[in-house]
Amino acid sequence: MLQDKLLIWRLQRGSVDALRQIYDKYKVYLLKLAITLTGDACHSEDVVQDVFLKLAESYDRISVHGNLKNFLITCLMNRIRTLRRDCRRHQAAQFDGSAIERPQACRPDQWAVVNEQMQRIGEAMVKLPVEQREVVTLRFEAGLGFRQIASLQNASINTVQGRYRYGMEKLRSLLNSEVEK
Amino acid sequence: MKSADEIKRLFNSAAVQTNATPDDAVFETLKTAYTRTVEHKSAQRELSMWRFVMKNPSVKLAIAAVIVIACLIGLSLWRTTGSGIALADVLARVERVKACSFKRSLHFWSEKVTGKDPNKPYIRGTFLISQEYGWKAKIERLDPNGGESTFSEYCLVPQKKTTIAISHKEKKYTRKEQDDGFFERIQKANIDITDPHTFLKQMLKTKYESLGRSTMDGIAVEGFRTTDPNSLVGTSSSNSGQSKRLDQKLWVDVKTRLPVRCDATWVDFDQMENKKKYERHVLYDFQWDVPVAGAEFEPVIPDHYASWVVKFPPHITEENAIQGLKVLVELLGKYPENIYHIVPENINDDAPTVLRLAEKSETPAALRLKEEIKGLTDDEINNKLVDFLMPIRGLGRFYRWLQFDKKDPAYYGKTVTPKDADKVLVRWKVSENEYRVIFGDLHTQTVTAEALAGLEKDLPK
Repeated sequence: MLQDKLLIWRLQRGSVDALRQIYDKYKVYLLKLAITLTGDACHSEDVVQDVFLKLAESYDRISVHGNLKNFLITCLMNRIRTLRRDCRRHQAAQFDGSAIERPQACRPDQWAVVNEQMQRIGEAMVKLPVEQREVVTLRFEAGLGFRQIASLQNASINTVQGRYRYGMEKLRSLLNSEVEK
Repeated sequence: MKSADEIKRLFNSAAVQTNATPDDAVFETLKTAYTRTVEHKSAQRELSMWRFVMKNPSVKLAIAAVIVIACLIGLSLWRTTGSGIALADVLARVERVKACSFKRSLHFWSEKVTGKDPNKPYIRGTFLISQEYGWKAKIERLDPNGGESTFSEYCLVPQKKTTIAISHKEKKYTRKEQDDGFFERIQKANIDITDPHTFLKQMLKTKYESLGRSTMDGIAVEGFRTTDPNSLVGTSSSNSGQSKRLDQKLWVDVKTRLPVRCDATWVDFDQMENKKKYERHVLYDFQWDVPVAGAEFEPVIPDHYASWVVKFPPHITEENAIQGLKVLVELLGKYPENIYHIVPENINDDAPTVLRLAEKSETPAALRLKEEIKGLTDDEINNKLVDFLMPIRGLGRFYRWLQFDKKDPAYYGKTVTPKDADKVLVRWKVSENEYRVIFGDLHTQTVTAEALAGLEKDLPK
C-alpha cells in the first residue's frame, strides 16, 4: 500500500517509470477482473486500456492518501457499465453473452491470453445476472468487503449480501462439474 | 454442492497472461497520453502562476529580486567551472539519434605480467547501432604474441527476433531465433558500459566533474570525469571483481553536444591470483545519425560455413515451461536436480547440459535419443535436435526471465518427483502477496505467500 502511495506521488511529478510500474503491477489483475465481469477477452483488453488511459490523463485527481487499487477498480466498473449501456442502446451484439475468446484463436495483436480455468469461469460468470456477477467478482477477485461493494453498486449491504448468496448458489451449480474435476 | 472455498480455489487457478508485443504497444499509447497530459498541465500551471505574479505587486517585486540573485549566482558558477554542457542534455540527444557507428577498443593488463603494452588493444571492433534495425559489430581479436588476428561478427535484429554470431576462424555461425521478450530485456540489462548510451546513463548516476574545454581531433570539446565506482553498478562490468577503482572520462562536442570519445579504465583485485587486473574500454570515431538500410544487418555468411541453430519458443509462457518439464521427465524419468541443468549460467550459453544427463538415463525416450544421435558430431546433434530441445530451452528462458524480472523464483527438482501432486516444484511471485506454483504432477495454482510458506515447509530437505 505504501508502495502505491509512493507510485502515485511519483506519477504526479511526471515519472514515466512510475506509470510503467503501475502498469506492470496491475495490468494482469485488471484484465482478469474485466474478463470475469464481461466474459470477453477482447472487450476486456479495450476496457483495461481505457482504465490505464484514464489514469494517465487524470493522475492528479487521485489523492496521495487515496487507494490506487480502488481507483482502478472503480474506473474499470464504470467503463464496463458504460460499454454495457452503449451496447444495449445500439442493440449491438449482446456484450454480456459473448463467450470468452479461446486461447487457441489467437489474434496476432492479442494482448491477453487466458488459461482453461479462466475460460471456464468466464463462461460460467456470464450466465449470472450482472449485479450478482459484480458482487461475486469483487468479493473473490478484488477481495473487497461487502461495505465497499455496496458503495460501488450504490445499494444497501443487505442487498449486496443477498446478491452474493444467490450468485454463489448459481455459480456452484454451474461450476459443480468443473470443481469435481 | 461445493463450498465457496473450492470455488475460490478455481478462481485462483484461473490465469491471464499478456503478450509482450501488444503489451509494449499499449504502454507506448499510455506513455504518449501521460507525457502529453504532463506537458499540458505544467504549461497551465506556469500560465496561472504567471497570472498570479503579474496581478500581485509585492510578489512581482519578490520574484524580481530572486531572479537578480539567481543570475548573480549563475554568473559566478559560469566563471568558475567554465561548463556549459549538461550531461542530461547530451543523453537526451544521444537518445534522439536514429543510428550511429563508432569504434571500440578493449585493453587488458595485469600488474604482475610484464611485457604487455597497456596501450595496445586486445580486442577492437566497429559497431553500428540503429533504433530501427538493431545492432551489428565486427570484432578483431589481436594476438598478443604478434600472430594472426581472429575475426568475428555479431548481429542482433529485433524485427526478426534473431541474433547471429559468425566465427571466421572456425568457419561457423550460430543463428538464434529468440523469444518476444529477449530484446526488451537485453536493452534493460545495461549489458556493459561500453555503448555510448549506457556509458552516459551510468555516468549521470554519479557525482562527475567538468574537465573544462579543449580540442580533440580538431573539434572543440568539453570533458567530464568520474571516479565513482557506482557508475559500474548494475552493469555486467560490476560482476567481474571486487575492490573496484574507476576512471571514467567523456568528451562532448561543444557544437553538436554529442560524445566524441568515451574512455573508462577500471581495476579489479583478483583474490585467486593475488594481483590487480586492469580493463580499459575506449569508444571513438563516432558518426552520429548515419544513414542505414535494413540489408546492412543481414550478414553475408559464406555457403561453406557450418551452422548451429538454436530456437526458443516465440512466446515464453507458463505453458511452455510445463511442456519443457514434461519432455525432461520423459527423457530422464525424473526432474533435473539443479535448475542450472536447464538454465545456463550465461544467457548466450545454450549448451544443453540436459543431453549429458540423458546419457546416464535408461528411459525409452533416452534410449531412442541416444540411438538417434549415435556417431554424430556436437554440431550435427544440435541441429538435429533443434525442435526437440526447443521446449527445454523455453523452460530455461522462462526461469531466466523470472530471475531477470525479480519474481523470486525457486525450483525444487532435487526432492520433488512427478508423482508429488501436493509438493511445490517451481514457484514465482505474481503479485505482492501471491505466488504461482507448478506442483510435482505439473498442475498449477496461485496461492498466497502464507499458503506457500506452509507448502514449502513440508518439502523434504
